[in-house]
Amino acid sequence: MIPVFAHIGDEHGRRRSVARRTADAVGGAVRELLQNEDLAMGPGLMQSLDPRVRLTTVLALAVTASLVRSVWVLAAVFVATMVVAAASRVDVGAFVRRVWASAGLFAVLLAAPAATSCFTPGRALLTLGPLTTTAPGLAIAVRLVARVAAGAGVGLLVVWTTRWTDIMRALTSWHVPDVVVAIFAMTQQQIVTLMRTVEGTHLARESRMLSEGSTAETRGWVVERMAFTARKSLKTADDVYDAMLARGYSGAWPSIVRLRTRGRDWLWLCGCAAFSAAVIGADKLVAR
Amino acid sequence: MHIPDGYLGPQTYAVIDVAILPVWAAAASRVRRTLKSRQVPLMALGAAFSFVLMMFNVPVFGGTTAHAVGAVLIAVLLGPWAACLSVSTAIVIQALAFGDGGITAIGANCLNMAVVMPFVGFAIYRLVSGPAPSLRRKIAASGLGAYLGLVAASISAGIEFGLQPLLAHDAAGHALYAPYSLAVAVPSMAVTHLVVGLLEAAVTMGVVAALARSDPALVAMRPASRPLTWLWAGLGALILLTPVGLLASGSAWGEWAPAAVKGMVGYMPAGLQRMSGAWTAAMPDYAPAFIKDPVVGYVAAALTGAALIAAIIWLVGIALSRRDDASPVPTDDEEPS
Repeated sequence: MIPVFAHIGDEHGRRRSVARRTADAVGGAVRELLQNEDLAMGPGLMQSLDPRVRLTTVLALAVTASLVRSVWVLAAVFVATMVVAAASRVDVGAFVRRVWASAGLFAVLLAAPAATSCFTPGRALLTLGPLTTTAPGLAIAVRLVARVAAGAGVGLLVVWTTRWTDIMRALTSWHVPDVVVAIFAMTQQQIVTLMRTVEGTHLARESRMLSEGSTAETRGWVVERMAFTARKSLKTADDVYDAMLARGYSGAWPSIVRLRTRGRDWLWLCGCAAFSAAVIGADKLVAR
Repeated sequence: MHIPDGYLGPQTYAVIDVAILPVWAAAASRVRRTLKSRQVPLMALGAAFSFVLMMFNVPVFGGTTAHAVGAVLIAVLLGPWAACLSVSTAIVIQALAFGDGGITAIGANCLNMAVVMPFVGFAIYRLVSGPAPSLRRKIAASGLGAYLGLVAASISAGIEFGLQPLLAHDAAGHALYAPYSLAVAVPSMAVTHLVVGLLEAAVTMGVVAALARSDPALVAMRPASRPLTWLWAGLGALILLTPVGLLASGSAWGEWAPAAVKGMVGYMPAGLQRMSGAWTAAMPDYAPAFIKDPVVGYVAAALTGAALIAAIIWLVGIALSRRDDASPVPTDDEEPS
């Protein structure tokens, strides 16, 4: 039997091994995190705003998108997120691809049955074999997909233009308990550390295996790696705590927040409030 | 199971987002009391582990892979309150740093994966493992807890989806958010996760077994914080809520009566006709025949079903205890069977 060479699987169009797939996924996530940090540190509209204003307006836009009923108004909200992304020096093509890859396609798959007469009776538009697409069903499905895309676009604005440290600074200035902010900040750091560990162990297996092995054997190895990661996580907690004590930790977290709201922040806040009001007003007009 | 923005209407996500706050406060208070000042790095590492665990591809069959949620595993290792905080932290970071799961749906995602799953799973784990379990029984209990915890979380998500057409629709009655009714959403989510749950159970059992071999202290039984009280209270609340199912109109998707199938396709399939009378349920349509009120009937059926399941679990527990007494107690270095 010719073994499947796990380490060259992707280069030769063969199926990638489980270890390679996990390593690629984890490595991709780490790269994405670092790229997001680079993007968020660069120049741009969103990046220049006070993080508190950024988070407040993005949350307001997400709520606004959830209140809209008209597909056309939802499409306008999505276009607005693309405009803001472009003004924030984000690659608009990548932005749209990411929205559809992360949420849009899944929404299409989930909404598709609702477009048929099985779930939504009504005027038939198209019949393919036993399935009939109805007009009200199509309207329900398109509205769900448009709403999910608009919501994902708004969320992606935060992900791509806001550094994690900025989110922590905003939370601190909003008087979120220090211990909560500390847990969030440390978690993000430890995620990167653990992901590097997971990527390393999977690449190590990939590099020393001629064939992937049976499904059961690979599953056993993956479970062992999970246990190793759990052990490492819990043991590291003790080391981190000892390091905190060594650096003078006494239960309180010093705050070094220096956030200042400037004229452009107030302007952006007012602009977003006006946009939200216009969106809801337009939706009422269209829905009427 | 991460719900993106757009599936839940404001009537749902606003209520859940507010309702989750006291749960987090209670969890923070409980964790602070039990774990003291070491809680900060432990919570952070627990949350990081929860996040990374979801990135492991576990081979299933035919080259396909899936991933586990791990909330019950973390509950077994750190306790359910700590698991609630850890998984919640991971969900918030997934939403804000990776765009996985919606911003408005953070509360709903935390309710399903950080509250329902670890608490239901941990309660089952404690119930089945008993006060002084052997390693084998502890592993079996963690698997059953993970399985039922995931199924409970999926039912919770299904209820959230299924309520949307009832809570928000246009003048023509068409859904504005998730379009499927309770009769479709709940069975769809539950049946899917009845299968996916097998992987969750296998992964949880495997990790607990591996940790028990290498570092038994990590899976030592944590002091009970009245989990059975919580279990019975939660079970009682769920039983009282069962009449919510009466709000759903029509039959659950795929659970049609033979007459309904005949009405839909125009004829009665021969196999269906032959098999439909093979078994007569003691309580058809979830109501004893002598109870006329459907609400009372639903509650009675839920009470009967819960009592039967509790009795089965109790009997399984007794059987496992006798088996443990009869065979040598496995040490923590022993390979689990």
